[in-house]
Amino acid sequence: MSQAISIEDLTFTYRGGDFPALQNICSQVAESSFVVLMGHGGAGKSTLCSALNGLVPKFFRGQYQGRVLVRGQEVAHHKVSEMAGIIGMVFQDFEDQLFSTNVELEMAFGPENLRISRLEIERRVQHYLSFVGLEKLRRREPATLSGGQKQRLAIGSVLAMEPEILVMDEPTTDLDPRGRQEVLSAADRLREKKRTLLIVDHDPETAANADRVWLMRSGRMVAEGRPDKILVDGPTLHSCGVGVPPLVDLFCTMDWPGRPLTVEEAIALLQKHQRARRREYKPGQFVPADSRRPFILQADGLGYIYPRHRSEALRRIDLGIREGEFLALLGQNGSGKTTLAKHFNGLLQPTYGQMLLRGRPTRGYPHRELARLVGYVFQNPDHQIFCNTVYEEVAFGLKMLGEDAKKIEQRVSESLEVVGLEGYEQKVPFALTKGERQRVAVASVLAIQPQVLVLDEPTTGLDDRQQLAMMEMLKHLHERGHTIIIITHCMEVAEKYAERTVVMKDGGILLDGPTRAVFAEEERLATASLRPTSLLRLSNWLGTKALTVGQMVQELQVNHGS
Amino acid sequence: MNIFLYLDHGTWVHRLDPRTKIISTLILFILCLCFNHPLYMAGVSLGILGIAVSARALPNFWRLRFVLILLVAFSSLMWPFFTQGPTPLWAWGPFRVSRESLLYGLAMGLRLASFVAAGLILLSTTRNEELTNGLLRMGIPYPVAFAFSTSLRLIPTFAGAGATIVEAQVCRGLDLESGGIFSRIGKFLPQAVPLFFYAIRHTNLLAMALEARGFSPEAKRTLYYEPRMRAVDYGVIGLLSIILVAVLYARLGMHLGTVFPGRL
Repeated sequence: MSQAISIEDLTFTYRGGDFPALQNICSQVAESSFVVLMGHGGAGKSTLCSALNGLVPKFFRGQYQGRVLVRGQEVAHHKVSEMAGIIGMVFQDFEDQLFSTNVELEMAFGPENLRISRLEIERRVQHYLSFVGLEKLRRREPATLSGGQKQRLAIGSVLAMEPEILVMDEPTTDLDPRGRQEVLSAADRLREKKRTLLIVDHDPETAANADRVWLMRSGRMVAEGRPDKILVDGPTLHSCGVGVPPLVDLFCTMDWPGRPLTVEEAIALLQKHQRARRREYKPGQFVPADSRRPFILQADGLGYIYPRHRSEALRRIDLGIREGEFLALLGQNGSGKTTLAKHFNGLLQPTYGQMLLRGRPTRGYPHRELARLVGYVFQNPDHQIFCNTVYEEVAFGLKMLGEDAKKIEQRVSESLEVVGLEGYEQKVPFALTKGERQRVAVASVLAIQPQVLVLDEPTTGLDDRQQLAMMEMLKHLHERGHTIIIITHCMEVAEKYAERTVVMKDGGILLDGPTRAVFAEEERLATASLRPTSLLRLSNWLGTKALTVGQMVQELQVNHGS
Repeated sequence: MNIFLYLDHGTWVHRLDPRTKIISTLILFILCLCFNHPLYMAGVSLGILGIAVSARALPNFWRLRFVLILLVAFSSLMWPFFTQGPTPLWAWGPFRVSRESLLYGLAMGLRLASFVAAGLILLSTTRNEELTNGLLRMGIPYPVAFAFSTSLRLIPTFAGAGATIVEAQVCRGLDLESGGIFSRIGKFLPQAVPLFFYAIRHTNLLAMALEARGFSPEAKRTLYYEPRMRAVDYGVIGLLSIILVAVLYARLGMHLGTVFPGRL
């Protein structure tokens, strides 16, 4: 089989970088194959993608050694725009690549540049719009689309150029599980068309479908091979900051034969070897959140209508959150999660009904008072960081609230300690990694010591290791008595950490209850475009109460013993 | 948050070739400069308002109502103090207001508002890409046309990011409710820092994304919305040209429509 991409001993150091971002990479991608690239944050995945279409070294300058051949052409000798017809690239920050004023023009932009005839462009726009399922939104302005639609548009606009090779850098980070499925099934259809695909992704289930998996660590290619070889190698995965697929972990610990990557495989294996039987999941003793604790937040028949589009974003929400809860807010893109969360600290005021904070409507509080009680960490840390040093950044809120210097100093060092950034006081926040910037953002809200902490997508863009650190930190805060509310797309995070889960759909509450019970309702979750992780689906099939591998192992062993 | 001015309708103004709309807007600008008598000026303003109604651009006028009202009010109030006419109405120390200067101020207010209105109609009915394509077909070099339309395109993006940034700081106790106007502006200033970083990052990424999709500023490209001049386009330009000639004749030949004949 001929090679679509051939990387020959590539080493690249960013200008001003202390060590190489890529080191001696030697890899090939065969024609019409599907490769998934995995690795920790900062491993060089995005740099490698950029080297394939020439952004490295044309845009990102630096020291470049070795060669990259794409369909026999040496990338470094061509302009990026010249490579565009052969290799298409969907960027990690897909919002930044949408540029046109309507969907149709966005699709046409690439072909226009390739100087394809208008008739042919028309055909392609039509064809690829239906391919990514956006034909009904032709005239819409891209900025008004939901996250999932934007991401599909970004993919479609690259597909319309009909490149033989498609590179996608984390194309599903901001998508709900259904959106992920849609993107990945589009990828499957491309494979049928004999296109070559390279996708950067964290999810083992994506990787399970690939022909080959590449594993990177600190700029080096650590391992390459078939998914059923790479994904079962726990220690190597771990060293690359990639989570071991939970089912593999489970089968390993239980010493069951086989290393399944999907639920279907796992069930087939269990049935074949008769290691465990299907049981109905019965919600056990329902333990309500400690009802002696007072409500801190109460939505009372709350509704919100966006003044501009007059669409009802929230309808008749009744929700009580008690002090000290750890709650996850789930729902598909555009279901109203963020809109609801912005009511918690008065950023938005209900159109009807009311939001009570400690029994008083948020409307009655001055902003400062709200900031003291409810901290809100925005999705993108860069939207709130603006000081020259980490210290100033964390101290900002306290200064605004008029605390004295001594107290500020004490609180800053406390909150930096909580987020694990002691010693970072004098660093420049903009120079930190994404994971660290996110922690600075959390620390800056934490310093105010709000009783309630609301976090919008705290784990997006973090690798497995950073994700774990972030969530453990929240768990720690929760143990200290804070009320934690997270908005998330990541089912795994909700399953592992939240005591209570609220699922939203079309501006209303679909499910609300203890996390385990909510995730047992697979069918109802599906109506909200959500799907539990493979581990939880197996747990549902086995009828266990477990939410994590550890719990499941324990439970199965006890069952076995009895 | 939607701050785009384009309104997606299919009126006859929307369907005009972008070149026609650019030329027509320029003619409207000149028409605005022809009279300085408020009655005549009001005629021009009403004409522009008529076009706005038939182009269904009024929602944008409503959105910018404060700017429009401010322009008329401010200039009607200020101009009278800076021009002097023969019929004094009121005097107080060094301040004098005459009948003519009052009328002149009113005309200037209408003129400014009409300027904005004409531009607003163009932006409400023409997509960014159409504007670029129109400029290109008029012989403007691609880099210039592209820079122009990009800057128009980025304003709403940055405004949206700015709003998010302010929200994030309010959450951390930034108090924008109290204090005088200057102290409030002072509180806003630090927000420019993250916006600045965002802008740099965004434009950088955008440049990469554009090039990765084959864009190169010098090269020729296919235009998906190929502008095409139809009979109605020539009709509109012809009609506006006739009006322009007639108005110029009225002003220069018949000396109509002025309060101060010597002034613009």
